[in-house]
Amino acid sequence: MRFRYRPFQAVVVAILAALITACAAFAPLYDRAMQQSLVDLTLEQTPAVTDGLQLTGVYGSSGSFGSISVPPPTPESALAKVPAAIRPYFDAPVLGYAAMVTRVPGGPEDPQGELVARSRVCGHVTMVSGRCPDGVGEIAVSEADVDNFGLVTGTTLRIAGVGSGRGHVRVPTHRLTVTGVYRQERGAYWLGQVLTGRSGVVSLVPPNIVQHDVWLTDRSTFEGGTGTLPQESSYVGMGIDPDAVGVDELLELGTAVRRLSEETRLTEQGATITVSSGLPGIADEVRDQSAQSRVTVPLLMAQLGLLAVVVLWLVLLAVTEQRRPEVALARLRGRGRRGARTLLVGELLPVALAGVVPGVLLALGGSWIARTVVLPGDAPFEVGLPLLLAVVVAVVLLTLVTVVAVVRVSREPVATLLRRVPPRRAGWGLGVADALVIAGCGSIVVVFATGGLDGPVALAAPGLLAIVVGLVLAHLTTPTAALAGSRLLRRGRVRAGVSVLDAARSPATRRVVAIVTLATALAVFSADALLVGDRNRAAASEQEAGAPMVAAVRGTDLAAVRAALGAADPDGRLATPVVRVVPPSSSARTTLAVVPDEFARIALFPGGAPSRAVWRRLAAPDTPPVRLSGTRLTADLEDSSLGSVGVGGDRRPVEVGIDVVTASGELLHVRLGDLMRPVAHARFSAELGCGDGCFVTGLTFGSLPGASIDGTVTFAPLQTDTGRYPLGPAGRWADVQDADTGVVRATGSGPDLTVEVHGTGADQVTLPQTWVPTRLAALVAGDLPPGSTDDRFTMTGIDGQEQTAARAATLPRVPASLPDTSVVNLDLALRGREVAATDQLEVWFATGDRDLLDRVTSALHDRGMEVGSVTRLADVRRTYDESTAAWSLQLAALVGGAALLIALLVLAVSAASSWRFRTRDLAALRMAGVPGRSITAMSVAAQLPAVLVGVVAGTAAGVYGAHLALPIVPLFADAPSVSTLDLDVAWGPVLLAAAAALVVLGVGGALIGRVMARRAGLPRLREGGP
Amino acid sequence: MTTAPTTGTGVGGATGSVRTRGLVHIYRSEGHEVAALSGVDLDVPAGGMVGLLGPSGAGKSTLLNLLAGVFRPSAGKVFVGDLELSTAADRALDRMRAEHVSLMLQGAQRNLLPYLTPHDNVRFAQGAARRAGKDLPDPDEVLAEVGLADHAHDALGSLTPGHLQLAALAVAMAPRPAVLLADEPTSQLDHPARDRVLAALTDANRDLGTTVVLVTHDPDVAAFLPRTITIRDGRVGGEGRSGEEYAVVTPDGFLPLPLHVREHLQPGTLVRFHPVEEGPGEYLLLAGDEAAGATREPAGGRVGGWVGGRPSHSAGRPADGAVEHPSDHPPDYSARHRAGGADRG
Repeated sequence: MRFRYRPFQAVVVAILAALITACAAFAPLYDRAMQQSLVDLTLEQTPAVTDGLQLTGVYGSSGSFGSISVPPPTPESALAKVPAAIRPYFDAPVLGYAAMVTRVPGGPEDPQGELVARSRVCGHVTMVSGRCPDGVGEIAVSEADVDNFGLVTGTTLRIAGVGSGRGHVRVPTHRLTVTGVYRQERGAYWLGQVLTGRSGVVSLVPPNIVQHDVWLTDRSTFEGGTGTLPQESSYVGMGIDPDAVGVDELLELGTAVRRLSEETRLTEQGATITVSSGLPGIADEVRDQSAQSRVTVPLLMAQLGLLAVVVLWLVLLAVTEQRRPEVALARLRGRGRRGARTLLVGELLPVALAGVVPGVLLALGGSWIARTVVLPGDAPFEVGLPLLLAVVVAVVLLTLVTVVAVVRVSREPVATLLRRVPPRRAGWGLGVADALVIAGCGSIVVVFATGGLDGPVALAAPGLLAIVVGLVLAHLTTPTAALAGSRLLRRGRVRAGVSVLDAARSPATRRVVAIVTLATALAVFSADALLVGDRNRAAASEQEAGAPMVAAVRGTDLAAVRAALGAADPDGRLATPVVRVVPPSSSARTTLAVVPDEFARIALFPGGAPSRAVWRRLAAPDTPPVRLSGTRLTADLEDSSLGSVGVGGDRRPVEVGIDVVTASGELLHVRLGDLMRPVAHARFSAELGCGDGCFVTGLTFGSLPGASIDGTVTFAPLQTDTGRYPLGPAGRWADVQDADTGVVRATGSGPDLTVEVHGTGADQVTLPQTWVPTRLAALVAGDLPPGSTDDRFTMTGIDGQEQTAARAATLPRVPASLPDTSVVNLDLALRGREVAATDQLEVWFATGDRDLLDRVTSALHDRGMEVGSVTRLADVRRTYDESTAAWSLQLAALVGGAALLIALLVLAVSAASSWRFRTRDLAALRMAGVPGRSITAMSVAAQLPAVLVGVVAGTAAGVYGAHLALPIVPLFADAPSVSTLDLDVAWGPVLLAAAAALVVLGVGGALIGRVMARRAGLPRLREGGP
Repeated sequence: MTTAPTTGTGVGGATGSVRTRGLVHIYRSEGHEVAALSGVDLDVPAGGMVGLLGPSGAGKSTLLNLLAGVFRPSAGKVFVGDLELSTAADRALDRMRAEHVSLMLQGAQRNLLPYLTPHDNVRFAQGAARRAGKDLPDPDEVLAEVGLADHAHDALGSLTPGHLQLAALAVAMAPRPAVLLADEPTSQLDHPARDRVLAALTDANRDLGTTVVLVTHDPDVAAFLPRTITIRDGRVGGEGRSGEEYAVVTPDGFLPLPLHVREHLQPGTLVRFHPVEEGPGEYLLLAGDEAAGATREPAGGRVGGWVGGRPSHSAGRPADGAVEHPSDHPPDYSARHRAGGADRG
């Protein structure tokens, strides 16, 4: 009866109660669904060998002569160690044995390899010929073993056994018979074990015996009296059953398996059972990610819930305000405060609690959508204790808010209750309750902002900040609007003045300002959180991948790689070679040698790429190289005064040579000859491997270690079988002045080159050609190594040797590289050096195009090179996106939208609760002769200032709230090794969210204004009553 | 108006007399303090029926609310039966409202829960009294008493204004109160409806012994009532007996002039009382022209009114429209009146 009297209010209260319940109930449901999805995804992506459980039993005690002479524990006794509680989470166990057998007599042609028995093995191999072994000594072999060792069906062979250890000197042998040839069928049954691929391959470890593939046999071979075989072990393999394992089971498994592996390491009678499983690690990962989701989900849902609670509070205030006459009646009829309270609680609480069931259904519906649409995997429908607790919390909260709102009115004196218009504070005054709320929320925000707050309360800080801003603004709005309205009227701007005054008069204005501020803040915060999360995951993916696609190339033939790229991508726009110099130790700097202009175009630099000017610093100097070609070299040396004196004062010859680098990057040293004493002319000839052309990189002068070298010598142009190659002028050479090696200086302006040498004891001094960089320009990320002076430092050159480098610029980070990495020009790095065997060649692609990869793979293959692993940006991104951290943030979109809808609801409720007197005011204007159109315009305009003020303040509060709260939001499941964290405001989405709030609420307010104006007919003036 | 309070017994054994002494009520409005009542003495015996008259803003409704314990007086005392309301605890006031005093607010709908039928409203109004153990008639019976039995279960929205007022009266009478305080119970009603409401009030007063104090602007209603009290400027400005109006001397010795006399005795007019030999308690009021220093007979004839039985002689500046007993000024012009105790019936 009572609900039918005010159906709109009842519906609004029930909707808000439903929203609060939904917020409370959805959080645990979504959290749970995320965890289940994470488990599904993890188990799906984890190899069976990792998420399965394998037990291997061997006896630790040795027999005589160091051989194991006793059989291992049976598979059943190993299986018995697995707690019965966790067995249902696995497929049926695979039991068996394994041993390492060698065909006798053990000559070079006799292979060694595993003999394996597995239960139900015949169902998991295809017999190419023959039959599956089912008796003692029967084996099945691979096709490769047939080819390599002639083990056709029917073949019998003998293998070596193990002596009993009680004085037997002769090793027993056992007979095996090949009953068939198998082909392995891949599947979870094998838990990652590969049976083939070793046949005919000589083992890398001594004694370098040729291997056979796994021989399959029946269990009876191990148990049927053959005696113990070498390295015999029993085996239990249990593949996980993903359908039986959810998050609870996984966590239970993690603990149980960890305990099992600790307990079974040493068992009775010297037997050792080793447990092998990645389940504890997977469980830890899931537990960590679950902990992360417990930050973000409440952060978002609690604030939406907070908004809904505040709105419910305001709606209940309006509703109870409207019931003041009824409260007064109850008091006048002697029911007292308690009776008045009972009257209102009896009406409002059932309505509020009526929203609980729809709220739970809403949450269940939302979680269903989340499980089926948003989240991967197949999370089950679950209604657990957390949901029940959430519903209880919601019910308690709803009851509390309702009762407090009711108590507030029912405590008022009857005289106040009887007033037709409730007393309102005029001016700038602040109510005690509001002051307390502002002080309380403000204190929390201040404590949070100064870093003194953590935990659950911190999660609500953005919402609390918005409440403070909203309430303060709400209190400032009314008097300010009144002031502005009066001023407008005095200036003769009637329409604007009346609109603003109307807004100032309306008790709903404060409410609207407060709620629009809070809702906009939430929408803005959500948009910012969503996009900052997205941006950071994108940046981390780009940093980790380096480029849209990166392919590792096996081998070190850089020339072949460049040739292949030249064929597949002639302009170098889509692919570029990169040489990653793997440092000799983990603490050393990595060097990345790149082709600067291509790399700049293709590599991804999250947070901004270096400018062109920076890349130009890596450019090769203009100095032309000294090119040679030919197979034989003749050098004419004039006026040599070179001489060397050894440590003992004896004269030593000076060895003159030149360093060249071939077109393929191979470094060659050409020894020209020795100068024993000063001579006027000397001619040397030497072989030169420069048929395809070479570059001279340096002139060398050597002696014994410790011997000095002094003197000058002039080089006439070099001659080869293809022509003359002048070494001058001196400008093509870089003088060297070094305390350790001495001085080497070039003079002469013509084609001849005069070199002055003062060596101080090094075995060789070199005059480098300026084409070869003495100090390689590098773009440096991270700190320079210890001992660096100014910007000079030593890094690992492309040949794996130390190389002096100079920091040309600093990079925040280098794509796909560790924090301490230097980027150098590949062409410069190669001058005078060649690619080391430990270097990793890579091809970086501008797109993830498979065709392009195929073309490059094919071109490499043609040149004898193969592509190894391929990293795609999209795949890396997926690993970041498929985490609870990312899924949690997706809630932000829902929360932002819901916040705006709630604010819209508040506009409607505020209009509904004050429409009588507002339409009466407008009707009075109509009676005074104001045209209908002006009244409509005024009514519409009266709605907008509050919305505008709220949106602007909410945007500011949301942005600051994000600034405060985002540092505690987990954006990644695991923090990337190179941080690309950027929590700056995502201004685009923030402004978009603010604009959306303005449009949604502005249009809503305008429509409400029009409806009001339409209802402001003259009959309204005759209406009386409260 | 200063007769000793007569106490009577109302329904349920509660006392139904109403008495105020030196009642002052001050409220704040826009930063100023306004005296709504400034020293009201009122006595209504149990079972009495009194109308409060006076211009808008005179303080009638304020007085009614003070009698109902809705307001607490700024000074003075209010007795309903033996209960002194200015110091009574909230619980005592709740109990009083539950069982002994009903206040009918102006506007029928303000007395009714909008979502209940008349029957349920009556039941609601009886709730507190029933819980206190008071024996009360069935709601249908209460509605029948006011002539609304046929509409007992109708929605309020379907009732006429007259029926709504009767429903409000039924609600007020539902706990069988000793005192019924009604604020403008007949306003905005047509004559037949007004008469029905008045009849129902009279019936309650006559049949149930309920003390009735009602506020009205309607002269017809005032004429219908055996006793009326005019409140003017926060004071008792006069009292009517069967249609004849008397001035009433206030406890502090002021005598508010009736309006029609005020027109003739301008502010500053000197007046003097002379005892009349024919009867004790009768005074001759002489008015003189202050400017001329001469006495004259005021235009329009005689000036006078009933003066209460215990004339006060306290000094003080007279308020507008009131004269102090000017004992030291000789009368220059006389108007003769009978002064004496009014019948307090």
